[in-house]
Amino acid sequence: MSMYPIASITAPNSTTYGQVEFANIPQNFTHLQLRVFARSTASGTSTIGNGMIFNGLANPNTYNSHSLNGDGSSATSSAAGYYNILQYSPYLPASGANSNVFGVQIWDILDYTNTNKNKTVRCIGGFDNNGSGNVALTSGLWLNTSAITDIILNVSGTYFAQYSTFQLYGITTA
Amino acid sequence: MSVFLQPLQTVTVGSGGASSVTFSNIPQTYTDLLIKISARATIAAISDSIAIYPNGSSSNLSETYIQGNGSSASSFRDSYCVVRTSGSSATSNTFSNSEIYIPNYTSSNYKSMILESTAENNATTEYFGLGAGLWSNTAAITSLQLYQLSGTNFVQYSEFSLYGILRQGI
Repeated sequence: MSMYPIASITAPNSTTYGQVEFANIPQNFTHLQLRVFARSTASGTSTIGNGMIFNGLANPNTYNSHSLNGDGSSATSSAAGYYNILQYSPYLPASGANSNVFGVQIWDILDYTNTNKNKTVRCIGGFDNNGSGNVALTSGLWLNTSAITDIILNVSGTYFAQYSTFQLYGITTA
Repeated sequence: MSVFLQPLQTVTVGSGGASSVTFSNIPQTYTDLLIKISARATIAAISDSIAIYPNGSSSNLSETYIQGNGSSASSFRDSYCVVRTSGSSATSNTFSNSEIYIPNYTSSNYKSMILESTAENNATTEYFGLGAGLWSNTAAITSLQLYQLSGTNFVQYSEFSLYGILRQGI
């Protein structure tokens, strides 16, 4: 077995978690995988997904991210560069979406302790709202070679809805 | 379905670089294979493609691909199964982040696979995408070779991890 649960966070209500944080991430794995099942309290049917910050460092011009996005009728690609947060992730359903609809994201963070590498992430995710929806592949770059010890996910100005869950896993190699 | 993810082999490229990576003698006791790749190439471009050759074969491979480049999206077909990798013109110290999933690698059917990859770059332009690949061959996969399509080398610290996945009930 090489995939181990590190920590799990569940939103107890829709007014507590504007962000969730995985702190003190163990350094004895090679890769990380983060699985998200979430919904935002933002207005509208959907909202741009959660942002991500590593090691608590929200310094200007240190994050870049890219998105390949489909909405059921067309596909687009865009970039969000020189931010102080990893901006792009797959869209989440928001308060205007059908009840009980949550988005799903799987994040892969490779070689997260290697101090010779800037940190890159890859995420697939999306949600279907029975008539509308969104699916995306996103990627992100943190211009820092430090080992990742802390991950914050946030939904700016709003909250993760009750029952949103966030699960972090560590993956070893041979 | 629960899965058992077993690390099988890892290759980390040394200071001299490497023109290819091979996973040999792959055990035939799992149901699926998974490869995680964090790599960078010496090609003088921001990105290149890593081709996967099952059993050393570059024949009978095909892929349907959807790609983004930070400005537009496109879809195309190819006669390789590839993931993107970072090149020497990409932001320094930045490596690709890719994954290849090959179910039923010992079956006597053709081998289907899913290929996800990003080759990040601190600029608007970056190449990343999803591929549905096929090796039209009924042989069990016993080895996998990974090459830069450009023929250039993988740089130091590039890392390739192979896993076996065992489905519950097998």
